[in-house]
Amino acid sequence: MNQPDSLILEMQQGSEKAFSKLYEMYSKAIYSVIFVILRDEELTEEVLQDVFVKVWTNSGSYSVEKGRFYTWLLNIARNSAIDKTRSKSFKNTNKNLSTDNFVHIIGGHNDLNQRTDTIGIQKFVDKLKPLCIKLLDLLYFKGYTQNETAEALETPLGTIKTRARNCINELRKMTLQEV
Amino acid sequence: MKNIDEIIASGTLELYVTGALSQREAMEVEDVLNDYPEVKNEVEKIETALINLAHGEEYTIPAKVWEGVLNSIKGVRKLNSHKKSNHWSTIAGWAAAIVFLMGIFWMMNETNSLENKVLVTTTENAVLKGKLTSAEEALTTSQDLLDIIRSKEYREISLPGNQAVSPESYAKVYYNDNEKIAYIDARGLPAPPAGKVYQVWSLIMDPLTPRSIGLLDHYEATTTKVFKLENIPDPEAFGITLEPEGGSESPTLAQLYTLGMVSP
Repeated sequence: MNQPDSLILEMQQGSEKAFSKLYEMYSKAIYSVIFVILRDEELTEEVLQDVFVKVWTNSGSYSVEKGRFYTWLLNIARNSAIDKTRSKSFKNTNKNLSTDNFVHIIGGHNDLNQRTDTIGIQKFVDKLKPLCIKLLDLLYFKGYTQNETAEALETPLGTIKTRARNCINELRKMTLQEV
Repeated sequence: MKNIDEIIASGTLELYVTGALSQREAMEVEDVLNDYPEVKNEVEKIETALINLAHGEEYTIPAKVWEGVLNSIKGVRKLNSHKKSNHWSTIAGWAAAIVFLMGIFWMMNETNSLENKVLVTTTENAVLKGKLTSAEEALTTSQDLLDIIRSKEYREISLPGNQAVSPESYAKVYYNDNEKIAYIDARGLPAPPAGKVYQVWSLIMDPLTPRSIGLLDHYEATTTKVFKLENIPDPEAFGITLEPEGGSESPTLAQLYTLGMVSP
């Protein structure tokens, strides 16, 4: 999909209408990213609200010429969610969840599986290769840099890139069929 | 410049969309993106795939999340734009400040006028004090005069009015032979017209020799109308004439108001 540059500009100039359209476009994807990190609906909704307030108040710091709006949004969401994992409320609700990656979430808890299913992730995850899931977990959901990812997977940087390409190609085929 | 297909196949764009590239590499991708629509198209497809990963149709995000966003940003926008200040607390605050300032100015004014009043009162006090002093002085003078004219050293000489000039006039002289001092009581004389002054003369009758012994200066201002003259030569008579201001060398007899003989 094309990036809605005109909507973004209108939002930056203070249009709530444009902002609400952007929310409709991106909120589900951002919700899923936050949810994968926090694994709690209530906290996810809380952080999602926080993220879009930040988008509105900091919209001036984004420039259409520099980078993708979605990548900018993604960074705000991941940082906010990761901040939340350090909060007391998160620690209280997730004491028994020591799982720290996407693979374990998907493979482990049934209630979480149900939720990821509802969000729509599960049906793709079921078809993706484990290595691809791992890669998406680090790069997309956790916001690892390429170097961090290479270190975490003990894989050369070039291989990471190639695998990311192949993995997302698979995803593309699936999402294009599904949507 | 790298081949476009190479860039697309490298996996760099996937890392670009997830935000995994370094800032320098991301900027390199930006440059290519702006120049090559096919690269941009590829980036958009990657992005869409990731966004669609979570596009489950069965669920919706609760409306309260968006409502919460709207509530938060409305507060923020109002603060930023200062459109309509309906904040009563703010208005009340300003009103209180204005009232307070007005109060201060009023008090400053009050203080000023009080200070002025104090100043006026002080001045009035000074004036009254001055008046009291001069009254006391006048009393003292009167007492002194009374003491003097009652004392045996002074003798009283009556100066009746000159029938030809001013028959109603009269004067009295209290004269001390030893100290050659004379007090002239001129209350019986009319106030001298402007530019004129009474002059007192001592006379020796044979031959008639008048000698000026002084002017009754500031006649109007002298409330007691008693004038002290000194260095009086042995007189046989006293006379008072009306002379031009500053006095004359010899008496103008046509203006002789009173004349009285000193009894031997």
